[in-house]
Amino acid sequence: MERQQRFMSEKDEYQFQHQGAVELLVFNFLLILTILTIWLFKNHRFRFLHETGGAMVYGLIMGLILRYATAPTDIESGTVYDCGKLSFSPSTLLVNITDQVYEYKYKREISQHNINSHQGNAILEKMTFDPEIFFNVLLPPIIFHAGYSLKKRHFFQNLGSILTYAFLGTAISCIVIGLITYGFVKAMIYAGQLKNGDFHFTDCLFFGSLMSATDPVTVLAIFHELHVDPDLYTLLFGESVLNDAVAIVLTYSISIYSPKENPNAFDAAAFFQSVGNFLGIFAGSFAMGSAYAVITALLTKFTKLCEFPMLETGLFFLLSWSAFLSAEAAGLTGIVAVLFCGVTQAHYTYNNLSSDSKMRTKQLFEFMNFLAENVIFCYMGLALFTFQNHIFNALFILGAFLAIFVARACNIYPLSFLLNLGRKQKIPWNFQHMMMFSGLRGAIAFALAIRNTESQPKQMMFTTTLLLVFFTVWVFGGGTTPMLTWLQIRVGVDLDENLKEEPSSHQGANNLDKGTTKADSAQLFRMWYGFDHKYLKPILTHSGPPLTTTLPEWCGPISRLLTSPQAYGEQLKEDDAECIVNQDELAMNYQEQAPSPCSPPARLGLDQKASPQAPSKENIYEGDLGLGGYELKLEQTPGQSQLN
Amino acid sequence: MDEEIVSEKQAEESHRQDSANLLIFILLLTLTILTIWLFKHRRARFLHETGLAMIYGLLVGLVLRYGIHVPSDVNNVTLSCEVQSSPTTLLVNVSGKFYEYTLKGEISSHELNNVQDNEMLRKVTFDPEVFFNILLPPIIFYAGYSLKRRHFFRNLGSILAYAFLGTAISCFVIGSIMYGCVTLMKVTGQLAGDFYFTDCLLFGAIVSATDPVTVLAIFHELQVDVELYALLFGESVLNDAVAIVLSSSIVAYQPAGDNSHTFDVTAMFKSIGIFLGIFSGSFAMGAATGVVTALVTKFTKLREFQLLETGLFFLMSWSTFLLAEAWGFTGVVAVLFCGITQAHYTYNNLSTESQHRTKQLFELLNFLAENFIFSYMGLTLFTFQNHVFNPTFVVGAFIAIFLGRAANIYPLSLLLNLGRRSKIGSNFQHMMMFAGLRGAMAFALAIRDTATYARQMMFSTTLLIVFFTVWVFGGGTTAMLSCLHIRVGVDSDQEHLGVPENERRTTKAESAWLFRIWYNFDHNYLKPLLTHSGPPLTTTLPACCGPIARCLTSPQAYENQEQLKDDDSDLILNDGDISLTYGDSTVNTESATSSAPRRFMGNSSEDALDRELAFGDHELVIRGTRLVLPMDDSEPPLNLLDNTRHGPA
Repeated sequence: MERQQRFMSEKDEYQFQHQGAVELLVFNFLLILTILTIWLFKNHRFRFLHETGGAMVYGLIMGLILRYATAPTDIESGTVYDCGKLSFSPSTLLVNITDQVYEYKYKREISQHNINSHQGNAILEKMTFDPEIFFNVLLPPIIFHAGYSLKKRHFFQNLGSILTYAFLGTAISCIVIGLITYGFVKAMIYAGQLKNGDFHFTDCLFFGSLMSATDPVTVLAIFHELHVDPDLYTLLFGESVLNDAVAIVLTYSISIYSPKENPNAFDAAAFFQSVGNFLGIFAGSFAMGSAYAVITALLTKFTKLCEFPMLETGLFFLLSWSAFLSAEAAGLTGIVAVLFCGVTQAHYTYNNLSSDSKMRTKQLFEFMNFLAENVIFCYMGLALFTFQNHIFNALFILGAFLAIFVARACNIYPLSFLLNLGRKQKIPWNFQHMMMFSGLRGAIAFALAIRNTESQPKQMMFTTTLLLVFFTVWVFGGGTTPMLTWLQIRVGVDLDENLKEEPSSHQGANNLDKGTTKADSAQLFRMWYGFDHKYLKPILTHSGPPLTTTLPEWCGPISRLLTSPQAYGEQLKEDDAECIVNQDELAMNYQEQAPSPCSPPARLGLDQKASPQAPSKENIYEGDLGLGGYELKLEQTPGQSQLN
Repeated sequence: MDEEIVSEKQAEESHRQDSANLLIFILLLTLTILTIWLFKHRRARFLHETGLAMIYGLLVGLVLRYGIHVPSDVNNVTLSCEVQSSPTTLLVNVSGKFYEYTLKGEISSHELNNVQDNEMLRKVTFDPEVFFNILLPPIIFYAGYSLKRRHFFRNLGSILAYAFLGTAISCFVIGSIMYGCVTLMKVTGQLAGDFYFTDCLLFGAIVSATDPVTVLAIFHELQVDVELYALLFGESVLNDAVAIVLSSSIVAYQPAGDNSHTFDVTAMFKSIGIFLGIFSGSFAMGAATGVVTALVTKFTKLREFQLLETGLFFLMSWSTFLLAEAWGFTGVVAVLFCGITQAHYTYNNLSTESQHRTKQLFELLNFLAENFIFSYMGLTLFTFQNHVFNPTFVVGAFIAIFLGRAANIYPLSLLLNLGRRSKIGSNFQHMMMFAGLRGAMAFALAIRDTATYARQMMFSTTLLIVFFTVWVFGGGTTAMLSCLHIRVGVDSDQEHLGVPENERRTTKAESAWLFRIWYNFDHNYLKPLLTHSGPPLTTTLPACCGPIARCLTSPQAYENQEQLKDDDSDLILNDGDISLTYGDSTVNTESATSSAPRRFMGNSSEDALDRELAFGDHELVIRGTRLVLPMDDSEPPLNLLDNTRHGPA
């Protein structure tokens, strides 16, 4: 009899688990559909809808079906139990239900306000993820991939401008959006749509910071496909990546800003605490991320792990993941740590990997990025219908739309003006317009908004964010191609041609040309490059000049120990050292080929192998393999001649 | 406001704790990778990475158990509520605040008494379903996906016999011996709970799942006779599937009447019916999604975008699992057959880059999941709190698994040798007997339910069996191979190239009649229908289906029809796999012209060998270049090669 009962409950559990399978299946199905549609679009070269946009459309349709076509089965889970004797909320609860003890796990606190709306459609309830999933599972690969593929030629050249846009720009944008929405909130209170005292100024700032995270993945994909000017590409990409990090930390700092008495009043102590918090978390996450990457670089340098590409890839993956987990465990922001980990991995570790592992890691993270991104956008579409506590407020939405445009303008135009004062190579007007136009909102804004939907203002923000994401992705994303032509921005810029010209011009035009480019980058960055090239690169990778030459005499033994044998046998190094100052990326590529830790013939083999395929492979351009593609293309011409 | 912050803090704290716990595992894996590299570098073969992962797990478990003691906060409160059922979410009103609780599981009253007092140990214990839903699927899929070996189809009959009949025999033998053991324990009064015959049978089913990953890795490295490799690998993969379904049908054995532990014919037949139903259902599900993927990749030009292609492949394979679970079948079994189908058909439609990508992706997933499970095994010896170690039972179980394995291998080999032309040598039989390691699958099945006393005892015993077999048998493989005089360093290429024409004919006659029909059908209809290779359907189908055939045949099929097809169709009868490779190379998805240079540069690109382009290598070999690599790799063939190349340096 007891057995019978147990069997029954096992059945129950089975049912429970199946439900989970069905939900995942729905997402899988949506993604498959998206992939097929996107293929069709790509095949016919429709550029007005990116895959993320497509995923949103399918998500919307599925949400619509789930919302209105399924019967709202009632669930008893909405019933409230009074447990007077409990004076706190334990993390696990054992409930004795008719002699069977069940274990319940603490999930969250529910505000009074939500209790009623909580009872509803079980299926909708089931289709709602725990928002923390975004931060712990889906966003890290996206962000890591962004960092890992950030290593583009022009990134370091424009580092100063990118940092300005990312830090200063995000702060400006946050404050401007906060102010404008606060104005609208006041208007709403005046119009009686909102109770006074619900929506504080800090809430507005919170909204501003989460809305500041731009995510122009759609635009960038089109840029990539059309080979838009690489300077513009780098500016946009770098800004969007870094400003995600800034926005996340900023949001967190604002949310912990809690003045002592009146929550609406300005409190200097609390304010400085928030600022300190921001700086602390950002610096801590940065340190954590780069520390792990440095460890990985050292491990891959001093072991011969490259003989086993699978182990190497595994190590790379695990250590990058550790960066995330350590940061989370230490109370920092994992996503920011992962971003900087990715950047550092690309800068140092990547050079130590075997060519096979380079491909593998690139492809692995590209793949994970692709899946995670589409899942998020799909979920966004779904959430419009399945989320049960939407608050649509026309005035607020209008205000938000206005605010993000004004804020984007306040971010781009004044900063570009300031930057142009210092830049040799100005950021022209059409670039500025394009950057203004590319202020799309995406996954990060959504994830930040959905993280907390407890109170009414937060729900209103979530709803508005969702609409903003839809609008910007579809309208701006779809309008990129016309915008490019309208602004007369160069497309079809062949990176290689640029590249091929440049080395020759280096040799031809000599030091004069070099000198000017060098002077371009600010003093600070020059120092960093010098340091990086002379000390960090040789310590962490197989490339760069041997440490024995760069370090002072007295550290001779240490430097001999740390220098890899490959570093000595380099001839092109002298030449490189010049290059690295202004064209960091270019130099790296050159280096990669020579000191590849695995046997040189193997590498050669790969290049030869790849070259005959390169002409037929248009997709190299499509894929985001920043470097892979670049490298292949370098070899393209000799390969072709070989073919003929 | 303040309280809200407090509860947020609490949630944050628990999140941190979770991150730290996961970090422990990740660092364990990192450590394992580094040590394994050292071992491989020094060519120490006595310890496989999985064995090492277990050792590290044990160490960390020891530290967690005795080094750290985190007293749990008072979080186990038993409430009595007047509810009839157990809702999935519960809202509790605690002094004016509402909290949401989600159902985690049912707790037996037995477990209630020894409430786990160490919070840390509680935290590092995973929900057992994690194994079935997250960790096992990639392992099993990868096994299926890399099963596509030359010798697998040749030995299909033997492999199926070992997997199905053998597992059943082993299950019953172990069950009976254990029942004897349990009765003995009852007499001596060592038994502190119920232990029925069905429990014994369940134990038999659980430990029948062999997992000789350690042995196979060594075989691969040493290039042991391919025939033996194929037999062992095929058996171990299929018998996992059989063991899962078998154990779930034994659990479902519910005799009618009062005494639930007597023999009941109807209930037994019901169980058998369940077994067959689940097995065939999962098989059909897996094969169906494989076929759908093949069709999609064939009829779309998805291969121009490798990322999309890989994404589709991954999602479809995952859907198989979810679909099967949602339907009430066994996801892991479905995934296995999906993997086999994908390898047989879809793989040929993928672009070369996607072929690498999918291989590498699943290889990585397999590697991570496997080592994770093994290190968790080590950890759980100390962190699991309800171990029941009973010496009699443990000794009985050890004897039982040896006898069970012997009763599986020797009689079946005898029977099979009656029908086989190339006999399974007695040294092969001994080796197969020896390679009866237990691994991830047995562990996952055992940990799934540890509610009752009997189950807990089974779990502890399984754990010990896994440790013992992996360390002792795994470590002794090299010694055993030399002791049994099994050929190592067999160059499968030479062997193959040396096979003269007339011998091929005889091999053809050897394979059973049934399989010949299947091969023909597969080659003439399924292959052309689902892939770009094989003869065009227009020639194989009767004339009346002309229009359909034309519409289903890919343009590539016509082009390469005249080339090697005729000669191929012969080959396929005895060597299913070889002809596939021919198909692959000629019908290469990028236009036929590109295949020529590719082949040409094969010679120079040593680095192609470094990957495990299962068929890439094979192809290279056939082209007549003399290369010293195993042709039926897919597991890292690089080990040996690389060692020879880089070892001295």
